[in-house]
Amino acid sequence: MERGLLAYILIPLLSAVIIPFAARNKPRLADILANVTLLAGLSNLAYLLLNANSFAEVPGDGFSLLMVFTIYLVALCVVFFSAFFAGAMPNRQAYYCLLLTSVAAMCGVVTTSDFFTLYIYVEVLAVTSFALITTDDTSAGLEGAIKYFLLTFPASVFIIVGLSLLLLSIGSFSFESVQLFLSAGMPGGTVLFAMGLILLGFLIKSGIVPFHAWTPDAYQGSFSPVSAHLAGIVTKVSGVYAIIRISMLMRLSEGMAEALAGTLMFLGMLSIIVGAIAALRQKDLKRMLAFSSISQLGYIVLAAGLGTPLAIIAAIFHLFNHATFKTVLFLNSASLEHASGTTDMEKMGGMEHAMPWTSWTSVIALLSTAGIPPLSGFWSKLLIIIALWAGGAKVYAMLALLFSIVTLAYFMVMQKKIFFGKKSEAAETASEVSAPMLAPVVLLSAVIITVGLLFPWFYTYLVETIAKRMIL
Amino acid sequence: MDQSPSNIQLIFALKTAVAAPILGAFLIPFANKISVAARNTLAVALGLVTFISAAWLLPGTISGLAINYSIAFPLGFDFILSADMLSVFMAVISSFVSSLILIYSIDYISHYENQTEYYTMVVLFLGSMMGLVFSANLLWMYVFWELTAFASWRLVGFFRSDRDVLKANKTFLVTVFGALCMLAGILLVYFDKGCIDMRLLRGENISNVAAFLILTGILAKSATLPFSTWLPDAGVAPSTVTALLHAAVLVKIGVYAYARIFGVTFVAAPEFSQAVLWIAGASAIVSAAAALVEKDIKRIIAYSTVSQIAFIFLGLASGNRVAFIGGLLYILMHSVAKGGLFLCAGIIEQKTHNKDITKMGGLFKTMPITGVSFALCSLSVMGIPPFGGFFSKFLVFKGATQNGTLGVILMFLAGAIMTLLYLSRMFYLVFMGQEKPDSPREGSIVMVASVLALALIGLSLGALIYYPSYYVDLLTNQLGVNLQ
Repeated sequence: MERGLLAYILIPLLSAVIIPFAARNKPRLADILANVTLLAGLSNLAYLLLNANSFAEVPGDGFSLLMVFTIYLVALCVVFFSAFFAGAMPNRQAYYCLLLTSVAAMCGVVTTSDFFTLYIYVEVLAVTSFALITTDDTSAGLEGAIKYFLLTFPASVFIIVGLSLLLLSIGSFSFESVQLFLSAGMPGGTVLFAMGLILLGFLIKSGIVPFHAWTPDAYQGSFSPVSAHLAGIVTKVSGVYAIIRISMLMRLSEGMAEALAGTLMFLGMLSIIVGAIAALRQKDLKRMLAFSSISQLGYIVLAAGLGTPLAIIAAIFHLFNHATFKTVLFLNSASLEHASGTTDMEKMGGMEHAMPWTSWTSVIALLSTAGIPPLSGFWSKLLIIIALWAGGAKVYAMLALLFSIVTLAYFMVMQKKIFFGKKSEAAETASEVSAPMLAPVVLLSAVIITVGLLFPWFYTYLVETIAKRMIL
Repeated sequence: MDQSPSNIQLIFALKTAVAAPILGAFLIPFANKISVAARNTLAVALGLVTFISAAWLLPGTISGLAINYSIAFPLGFDFILSADMLSVFMAVISSFVSSLILIYSIDYISHYENQTEYYTMVVLFLGSMMGLVFSANLLWMYVFWELTAFASWRLVGFFRSDRDVLKANKTFLVTVFGALCMLAGILLVYFDKGCIDMRLLRGENISNVAAFLILTGILAKSATLPFSTWLPDAGVAPSTVTALLHAAVLVKIGVYAYARIFGVTFVAAPEFSQAVLWIAGASAIVSAAAALVEKDIKRIIAYSTVSQIAFIFLGLASGNRVAFIGGLLYILMHSVAKGGLFLCAGIIEQKTHNKDITKMGGLFKTMPITGVSFALCSLSVMGIPPFGGFFSKFLVFKGATQNGTLGVILMFLAGAIMTLLYLSRMFYLVFMGQEKPDSPREGSIVMVASVLALALIGLSLGALIYYPSYYVDLLTNQLGVNLQ
């Protein structure tokens, strides 16, 4: 646990405790408190990250810092959006309380330096996500929540068994000791088995194929801003983050963990393929986005499995980009649902005139996802492909490249059904959502474009500042 | 680098040619807030500024100055703009045609919705085209390549009916698929040579796999077999202007990339060039045959473009100096003549509210100027002397016969004869024959003036063939690699 970053965990937690009491009968105050907490944290982090001097004084791993920043960015966008989202929200105070707790838990996940604390935070996160999905207390929401619970529950079992084996064999949970053990070159059958079990648990939690059954249901069933929160950041922190961490550790055991790394890459590739093809066939917007998430997480896992420094940097870069563009798409799906009353793509159509901002921000986000230059997603995908090629996985590199076309294809389908096409009944009555609800997506779209255009500076920053502080 | 004032001026012109349309495109929605006139003026002004900046570079490149501008990027992805004779040649042609399209649009497009998006995308398209021709780094060429695909996606889907959007998506997916193959090829080069700066790679060999991957991208963009179907489909998309942008400018991107990558940079294996020739030959015949049986006026012209593009490939891939010169001249002549044909078709379609040529007839009496322009442009495409099209076609064939295989030459001869046939058929059905009742009047002055201008330019290019051929000759001497 890095002390320097403790404040980012404690302050949202504190707000989470205060909100139900202080804002008991004042929902607006709850909005304000939640927003102010996250905005303060984000501006603080932005200052730290952009200021080289102060950055050097902050303790902690570069990866953790970037992740904390991403968590705050996405959470602030979601919270700000929710404050103006007039959907059915039975209990605002409880909602913000849960959201802020989940932010605290996520910051805990990314700043800890041992597996046990990591596990604790991941479980806290799981409980809050479970409760957040039920914010929408219709049958769909409950179904999603129960599915989420039942399907990710075995993951916890795998992780806890893995942790016990780890404790038995090396007597410690810390990343450092695992790394020391692995790099010592001793035969590490048990440790590797334990790591395999832990990895399996996190693969389930991140919804990688073949463990993806829960994601579409959970995202579809839950309250729209909650799906943005879950898809935008929670699944990444509770699953993919740990996978990247473990890959960074495993790389040191040259050769020993080859089978594990190979499996990871295979599952990543499989996710890319299955997720993309399944997304092509969806009729519900949120389900399509969920499958698209699965496919994009596949890219991250594929790169993480390879584990070369460039691949890890690329994976982290793609993680950040995916957080931004997937949040935009999910928030826009919430706006669309708000405006048209449905998420069934067949019933929408011709929405672009009614909702030009939503339409254009969606186009930016989806083109970035499909890897169309010069948007941010193109560069991270390109880095992943270059890393794969340089690391000798040429077949994977080519497949990953060519599957961008499927990504583009399903987004074309989506764009055609929702924004283009004949004006549907929904489009006749729909109108653009209010400016405050557009602000988060416009902000994130600006991030996508800026990172894409300023790629060289961002890349240099990533390598010189963030990656320098990681043990690669 | 030479820091003389003239060189600084040229670098500034180079930057303006790329930056003005790309950045300016995003100002168009704001100009629309002021007034429609302000928006239209801005769009046309941006087109003209681009054209003037590109033309400004002409004298500099002829005298052999190296005009470069670069920003260093990590991993060898430097952003390099470099003006040499070939890129300036392409830039001048495409910015000229695009400016003319913008002027013609003011009238033509004024009846439709989504005008602001239309102008934004046309100008963005022009800017990406400029970026593409001036990029000396393969990766940046790819970036601009995709930007043009994005702009054309929005332009083909200009009308939002299901059918149009389907065509737009098809265009986008086909060209992006090609582009991804090309990116794979570029990455192969990147790993093979450790560098993707084309100025440094000049005269290097390229592996066959990489060459074919890049070729896939080029064929997809230039709508050559087996990717030819998207262009006629995009051609039926609502706006003729859009169709023109694709037929006269977009497909040239593919040809330019071929000239740039395989003509003046890499040395490809002889089998590769042979394969290109056979593919192009098949493309010439198949699309000409399709043009012979089509009834939709815009589809005919689009198929004709596919067929003519094949002739350009014949010139560029023959590996012969004369043919290469012919191929480059062909780009110029075809842009002008095909531009004229498309704009004529636009006037005809707008006035008759009809695209089926079998239902037209006798239009010559009521639309004489359009008819004459159409005839002049057709003659140039057919390659009848003294039009510009004759010289380019002649040079392509002259060069190709010197070291081509008989089979390829015969295929192209058949293609050339079919060109004559389908263009005569179309002219006859539209302008000659029985006059239909309530034949429409001539189009508006701006529109008719644009087509007449293109027709006359086509004619005068034939008369003044000395100047372009001198330029292209110099270009080939200066830059050509592996030519006999």
